[in-house]
Amino acid sequence: MSGRQVSRRRFLTGLGVGATAAVAAGYGLTVWGDGGAGRASSSAGRRATPATLGGRDDRTLVVLELGGGNDGLNTVVPTADPAYRALRPTLGVSNAIALDDEIGLHPELAKLAARYHDGHVAIVEGIGYPDPDLSHFASLGYWWSGVPGESGGVGWLGRYLDGTVGAADPLAGISIGPVPSPALLGTQSFATSIADASGLQPTLPAWVGGTDGGDVDDLVAAWGGFAPASPDPRTLMGEVQQAIAHTVLARRGLDRDLAGFRPTGSTSVTGSLALAARLVASDRPPRVVYVSGLGDFDTHQGQAQRQPVLLRDLDAGLDSFFATVEAAGRADRALVMTVSEFGRRPGENGSGTDHGTAAPHFLIGSGVKGGRYGAPPSLTALDPHGNPVATTDFRSLYATVLAGWLDVDPFAVLGRGAGFGPLPVLT
Amino acid sequence: MPVSARERVAHVVRRLSMAPHAAIAVDLPDTDAAIARALDLSGAAATPLAMAPPDGSAKPDVRAIVEPIAWWLERMQQADRMVEERLTWFWHDHFATSVVKVREPYLMNRQHLTLRTHASGNFADLLKAVARDPAMLVYLDGITNAVDERNENFGRECLELFTMGRDSGYTQDDVVAASRAFTGWVVDLPGRPFSPRLERVTGVQPWDSVFVARRHDAGVKTLLGVTGQFDLDGALDVILGHPATATFVARKLYRELVGLDPDDAVVASLAKGFARDYEILPLVTEIVQRPEFTSDDAVRAKVRTPVEKLVGIRQAAGGKSRPGGGAVIARALRAMAYVPFVPPNVGGFPKGRRLLGPGNLVHTFDLVAAAGTAPESHDGAGALAALGVFDVSATTRKVLDEQRDPQQRFALAVASPEYAVT
Repeated sequence: MSGRQVSRRRFLTGLGVGATAAVAAGYGLTVWGDGGAGRASSSAGRRATPATLGGRDDRTLVVLELGGGNDGLNTVVPTADPAYRALRPTLGVSNAIALDDEIGLHPELAKLAARYHDGHVAIVEGIGYPDPDLSHFASLGYWWSGVPGESGGVGWLGRYLDGTVGAADPLAGISIGPVPSPALLGTQSFATSIADASGLQPTLPAWVGGTDGGDVDDLVAAWGGFAPASPDPRTLMGEVQQAIAHTVLARRGLDRDLAGFRPTGSTSVTGSLALAARLVASDRPPRVVYVSGLGDFDTHQGQAQRQPVLLRDLDAGLDSFFATVEAAGRADRALVMTVSEFGRRPGENGSGTDHGTAAPHFLIGSGVKGGRYGAPPSLTALDPHGNPVATTDFRSLYATVLAGWLDVDPFAVLGRGAGFGPLPVLT
Repeated sequence: MPVSARERVAHVVRRLSMAPHAAIAVDLPDTDAAIARALDLSGAAATPLAMAPPDGSAKPDVRAIVEPIAWWLERMQQADRMVEERLTWFWHDHFATSVVKVREPYLMNRQHLTLRTHASGNFADLLKAVARDPAMLVYLDGITNAVDERNENFGRECLELFTMGRDSGYTQDDVVAASRAFTGWVVDLPGRPFSPRLERVTGVQPWDSVFVARRHDAGVKTLLGVTGQFDLDGALDVILGHPATATFVARKLYRELVGLDPDDAVVASLAKGFARDYEILPLVTEIVQRPEFTSDDAVRAKVRTPVEKLVGIRQAAGGKSRPGGGAVIARALRAMAYVPFVPPNVGGFPKGRRLLGPGNLVHTFDLVAAAGTAPESHDGAGALAALGVFDVSATTRKVLDEQRDPQQRFALAVASPEYAVT
């Protein structure tokens, strides 16, 4: 961290945020819970994470959630495996960009392939979890909680934030997408969600004074008055009041971090990643940015037309993301990780693929020791439902970034369990 | 804060419709009268929006979805057949289908009419209608589900989201069995190469769905422990006969209307009655006549959705909409994943506390554009009363009263904690 940079915590304390945000302690969970739709979390969800994990606050983990279940098999293509061609007679990718003599990337991931050849991309193959559930909502819930079989409670990054910043900094974790990511749901921490690349800027009609930015700021300041000094956390109204107070604080911090930022990008992917890049390149980078809403990867049908568009947008978004952070001299601060609830079934269903299990994921950044990790699942020993058997627990991916990038004890966040631990991806 | 009689009546109206109907709520003497008013379906049904069926010669124009959206939002404000509006929205969220994948607004409007027709009618009829609804067949890939190319998309979501619910006893084998039974349904999409032959062979009309026997898996299936040569309706009858289905739907409707988690015994009792004939209105009636529905705990127990906020704002302003506000509102609804006909995924629209993220809260201000001008008010209580909110905390009242400009006062009322809940 260079000398001119102020630590985020000091900056926020200077704004008087520390004192007010402390009121938020204990609200995180209730404010972001999903309203009772999921199963209540059990042991791991309630596991208290000691606020003593430490960790680095000068780097950012950017998580890209490929919602719907990205078809990993056509993303990282097993070009040399005859079983692949047999399982994918029509959807199989025949013009993959070779990474070595076994695998290649989908042709729409050309820039990512170049980055791989530069040594800045790790591909972790065969990621899944035991006893796979083919439901989007169950599977996503497990990925969010970081605990197979548990959903609806605290998120794995929420536990990380609880243990590192607690209630002190609402901008340490930022979620980009139409709804806050449950992965960032904590018990003490309070992550900020931004719906789209416009940040936390309301648009008011002229008759309310919307043409004058000063009026908007005045109005938002008055809005903050809706939160009494100590809202009653037992009522929904109290939670709303606290969320308003939190939003006003977060907006004030973001106004500094995003000064002069104008959203760019022709798609929601490029727009969201432009915002993420700008946050990483700010003087007070968040510890975690979680991006969702990157398209519908649930390609049951028309996969040959739909997946290339999704991957092209992703490739372009990633490229502009790294261009921005590299131009700002912050390339060493950003690590991008992809996640998705599951891969898709190797066998075709006609023009698409149904819900599957194991899939490869990417870790991208200059801090990465490029190459292949994990192990590709066998395509000749599928499970009874025709899905590959995972070789690498998804918590290994999480443990890798917690230990190797965020510099905390991964087992304090994920619990201790056999079968997963950090991979030697990060230098 | 104790709940006033007026707020309690307003609560009943809000939960059983899609708008505050403030002017009506203040005139209703008590909650019984409010329930009777909201459940009154004696008037004529709304005249549906007529959209001309495209002839298939041009690419579908997804932007035309603004037409049914505008019609629907306008309809939500109307004071007749209130509960039909609540239930039509509930079923859209339940059988979530998005124009982003379906591509054809005409089909979305048709599905809307199907939901509206059955909204307070019979759940078994509704389910069977949705299962062969052209938009749903496109959205969850029923049209590509065939004997030799099985597609599990509709089969899985039907069990998980539309009927039994998760962890209710079905397995992946049941998903496969249901998917096999659902094979064979296609939609005549004019302009596609297969369309003329399909019309010749089956006599199907453009945009209708039709069963094609040679695409159907007529084999024996075992679904939920029952064995037979089930087709679409046969499989749905097996699913409707499983006790989990009535339980799941009754619980979800209870949460929608009451806003609280029901006791298991209450759900069991509701489900027992519902399973007998799957009539929806009697189930609604039974739920809202329970003491929980009008209890203090139920009042303001839900987070108000962006669509409910928007409709309330328009109603407060007398339905006037300022030209040009539409683009801002559309962007805000998109940012909040709340555009009607565009649920973010098959799970429906975000609900509950997930609507309280900072991004969502700031974009509430954007919805003010729907008003065109602020309704007249002299103080904070007046501004909120126009929005159908009558019990106001001292903190909120103070902030609004201090705001001298009535336009800004209204904008703040829209973004107030009281208006954020319902």
